[in-house]
Amino acid sequence: MRLLWGFFLRFLRHRRRLFAGILAIPAVALCDIQLTILIGDTLTKLREGDDTQFLAGVFGLMLLLSATQGFFRFLQRWWIVGVSRRVEVELKQELFDKLARLPLSFHARSRSGDIVTRLTSDVENVRMLLGPGSMYVLGALFLLPASLFVLFSISAEITLYMTIPLVLVAFAMKALTPRLHRASVAVQESLGDISHRAQESFAGIRVVRGYGLARHERDGFRVVSSENRTHQIRMASARGLMHAFVNLAYDLAFLPILFVGGWAMIDRTIEVGDLFKFIDLGFKVFWPVIALGWIAGMYPRAVVSAERIDQLLHEDLEIADPVDPVPLEVRGAFSLRDVSYTYPDAPRPAVSGVSVELPANTTLGVVGPTGSGKSTLLNLLGRLYDAEGEIRLDRVALRSLSLETLRGALAYVPQDSFLFSDTYRNNIAFGATDDIDDAEIERCIERAAMTDDVSRFPDGLDQMIGERGVTLSGGQRQRSCIARALAKDPRVLILDDALSAVDTETEARLLDGLRRAGGERTVVIAAHRLGSVRTAENIVVLSAGRVEAQGTHEELLERSDWYRETWSRQQMEEELEEL
Amino acid sequence: MSEHDEDLIATKVWDTAVVRRLLVYARPHKKQFYGSFLVLVIVFALQLLSPWLLRGAIDGPVAAARDASVTMGDAFDSSPYLRTLALWAAAYFGAVLLAAVFRYLEVSQLARTGQSVIHDLRTTVFGHIHRMDLAWFDRTPTGSLVTRVTTDIENLNELFTSGLIVLLFDLIKIAVVIGLLFWVDADLALLVVALTPILIGVSLIFRGGARRAHRRVRAVLARTNGYLQEVLSGVRVVQVFRREERVSATFAGHLAEYLSANFRTIFLFALFYPILAFVTVGIQGSVLWRGGASIHAGTMTVGEFILFWFWLQLLVGPIRELGERYNVLQSAFASAERIFHVLDTEPDVRRPASPVRNDAPMKGHVRFEHVEFAYGNGPKVIEDVSFEIPPGHTVAVVGATGAGKSTLVNLLLRYYDPTGGRVTVDGVDLRDIEMQPYRDQLGIVLQEDFLFSGSVRDNLELGRSSVNEETIALALETSSAIDVIERLPDGLDSQVAERGATLSTGERELISIARALASNPALVIFDEATSSVDSATESKIEAATHRLLRGRSALVVAHRLSTVRRADTILVMHKGRLRESGTHEELLAQGGVYARLYALQFRDEDDESRAG
Repeated sequence: MRLLWGFFLRFLRHRRRLFAGILAIPAVALCDIQLTILIGDTLTKLREGDDTQFLAGVFGLMLLLSATQGFFRFLQRWWIVGVSRRVEVELKQELFDKLARLPLSFHARSRSGDIVTRLTSDVENVRMLLGPGSMYVLGALFLLPASLFVLFSISAEITLYMTIPLVLVAFAMKALTPRLHRASVAVQESLGDISHRAQESFAGIRVVRGYGLARHERDGFRVVSSENRTHQIRMASARGLMHAFVNLAYDLAFLPILFVGGWAMIDRTIEVGDLFKFIDLGFKVFWPVIALGWIAGMYPRAVVSAERIDQLLHEDLEIADPVDPVPLEVRGAFSLRDVSYTYPDAPRPAVSGVSVELPANTTLGVVGPTGSGKSTLLNLLGRLYDAEGEIRLDRVALRSLSLETLRGALAYVPQDSFLFSDTYRNNIAFGATDDIDDAEIERCIERAAMTDDVSRFPDGLDQMIGERGVTLSGGQRQRSCIARALAKDPRVLILDDALSAVDTETEARLLDGLRRAGGERTVVIAAHRLGSVRTAENIVVLSAGRVEAQGTHEELLERSDWYRETWSRQQMEEELEEL
Repeated sequence: MSEHDEDLIATKVWDTAVVRRLLVYARPHKKQFYGSFLVLVIVFALQLLSPWLLRGAIDGPVAAARDASVTMGDAFDSSPYLRTLALWAAAYFGAVLLAAVFRYLEVSQLARTGQSVIHDLRTTVFGHIHRMDLAWFDRTPTGSLVTRVTTDIENLNELFTSGLIVLLFDLIKIAVVIGLLFWVDADLALLVVALTPILIGVSLIFRGGARRAHRRVRAVLARTNGYLQEVLSGVRVVQVFRREERVSATFAGHLAEYLSANFRTIFLFALFYPILAFVTVGIQGSVLWRGGASIHAGTMTVGEFILFWFWLQLLVGPIRELGERYNVLQSAFASAERIFHVLDTEPDVRRPASPVRNDAPMKGHVRFEHVEFAYGNGPKVIEDVSFEIPPGHTVAVVGATGAGKSTLVNLLLRYYDPTGGRVTVDGVDLRDIEMQPYRDQLGIVLQEDFLFSGSVRDNLELGRSSVNEETIALALETSSAIDVIERLPDGLDSQVAERGATLSTGERELISIARALASNPALVIFDEATSSVDSATESKIEAATHRLLRGRSALVVAHRLSTVRRADTILVMHKGRLRESGTHEELLAQGGVYARLYALQFRDEDDESRAG
């Protein structure tokens, strides 16, 4: 409850619109009631009166009341729902800003699907309850007492009898809601199973085909599909009960009108117009009251969603600027002493006890089997994770530097060659200063050996890439990421297995270009292909997170079995490529 | 959602051909459908009955009592009238209870009907997808295949339940209610009929606007969420390049667009309900005006007026829903089109019309005879390739990426059919063999071998009848994959996360080898992984590979020297053609490409292994 209140305070940021919308609510209710009274009185008057001239006036008045009501209804909806959308957008922006700054350790342990759910369904659940939900609640809270007051003044007896089914339906809903909720959760889960099963089966089609598993898969799918059918039917049965009870209560509310009202008419204590008022207001009040029940049903879900959103909003920004950062003109010498890192919840450290010296303007190669900790080590240099042990840049501990100083000095080419679905120019200029011109961009593209490829783009530098534009090959993506890194003109360049999809010849040309282009720059290359690091001043061989050996290429051929074996295997592969 | 997806939304509101095809799936559940319809009819009849009973009470005992009390004055005794009134009330009570029962049946029966059809259709589509060619899978994203058996099918469910049946019924309701209104009072009914077109017009105009507005909201929302996802997957790049503020600004741009799209729908809805209410009040006002005059003139009773009034409300509901039904129909038709498009695509690789029966166990004698293959209309990937794998022999294929090595594997698995020449096993063309029994006798280890979620045991069994506890235990022992299993928390019962994330690359390859071993296959098809693993696992994989291949026919795309050395025949592929073939020694003696390679790279290693 306190949490939801906290979110409601966000609505108060738009209090002028919100209050204007809320003020419209009683006006809507009053017009509604007035319409019923007008028609009821007219019916009564018809019985007693002597002429029907006044009916034209009634017609006009009805239209006027309806128009007034419509006007306020419009305002109510426009303002209150509008504010809820504004709050939604503000909340999403706040969450997004937070996400962009949360450390990688957070992103590593959270699934992106879950985060997207928080920004979509969870925000929507909270919005629905606090926006449209509270609008309907307020509407019912005005309409109900006002209508009861009118009806009570006609006949207390009938009014009391009419409320009995309402109370009954409240109990029925309370009893049925958990069942409905359980059923709908089961349906959602079984839908998830269906989609999971299909995803796995289609993605693994080669194994399915190879092992002749189509029938096995079909049988398995039939099982999850029929489970879904069962749950769907179960949910429909719960919904059917709810539907039946709600309508039964509604219908039963008319029973006292029919019997007690008819009796009173026989006794001449009320008139036919009054009876009409009961029927018509009963109709108008009942559904908003039922809506209250639905909204009450939304409440627990909204609370859970609010918690999930709140959790994200209060997620700790572990990696932040120090209070008193050391100013530094970065030269680019790294020194690692006994550096370790363990991912959250992982049983073993990914990097353990690594000590390496990297003088400014030299190249360090990082090699080792898949999963030996190469990428993790590279990420520690940019303080994407906070390492145990000591990492110093130009003799200053990383934690004492502002993120601007540290990351401002380095550029990074990621393993997954991530590019945005944006224009090619924007992708290359992504990390550069704002004043970078096309000439400079072209130069970087050339150094990354992408000029020919870019010249074949229909729209040149304005070419959209990704889903809604051209699809780049793996090699093109990698070279583009290198161009992006170069455009930043960094002191330290970090390449995380960034050349795996580039052929050997281009690779040699690229590496050569990288070294010459910067002239003086520190380079760290993690590579699968040992040829990529052959000329590095120092090469580290990692194995299960530890340094197995380090030295130059020639030294490692002597010292490391793994290095030597891998080298010869890869040489064979390369020879085969060149056949 | 991209522009491309937008195009996929059909513009048709009604498609008889599609409906007719869907009805084919409904036919087995015909009784359910009739049942649903009957329940709807009963609920509707009871709905009409309640106001009629109200009228009966008002015009009957109440009116009579009032007349009597006027004429009789003080002598008036109300009790007989009250008794009649009580009867009416009891009738009403009964009708209401009955309505509750049928309302429950209405919802549950409609769901039962729809779900039965949906389940059939879903399993049919799934089964059909599994019959499709590998080439078709290659060009269709997995996500969109999943959509066919999830979202699209759900939409069809809507079509059956709230779409077809209810729409049909709503139209009937409108007609019946109008008829009843004429029965009560033709004059007033004419008035209503004259005015309802305004109501329908408002509803339809709004429907068009609302659909466009909603579509825009959905499109913008999809873009916004897409960008969110993109930034999440590239958050490393964003942070290293210190571009947090820039991506926030871009996101703000998307959100602003989202907000304005939403304001349009809010505006439409805020306008629609009041206008609809205004038109309704207008109709009611006219009815009151004319009807009031009739009551006054005595040509209409108050009870009749009230009956008319409430039946009129039963007319407004379905008309208001028309627009909504239209939208449901439209998206359902789009889904149906996509589903039928899949069902209408027939695979090229088909089951043989008259399979060659061969009950003898497979010997594993493979022959490629002048085989040629091209994907679709593309260039030839392999050309004139001929070789033989005699029973029990291992053939290792080496060659550059794109030389056609995997194609040989794909053809032997009959993922594709050759475009020229033929592949035979034990002398029979693969195209004439029943696939299921054939594949049951294969042992397969593929690169990036996919491990299904479920337990490790499930993954080793893969539903094969030839595999049991014992063979698995033996296979694990032989392949030394048992070490991997023992490390896992629950042994064989440990759950494998999606894509086998809890196991390392090397461990996964070991388990794949064990899986192949478990069925004691006659023919092994092995595509060795290229990624580097640590030395300990590497030597285990080498040993396990050796045990898997020994004594069996095997086609291996080889990356490991030890595998190549041990092969009975080595094929050197180059640009889709077979360049050299022979044993290790023969090829060395030939002094060709293989010999040159070997001389360059392997001599040291070979000496070493001989010494060790």
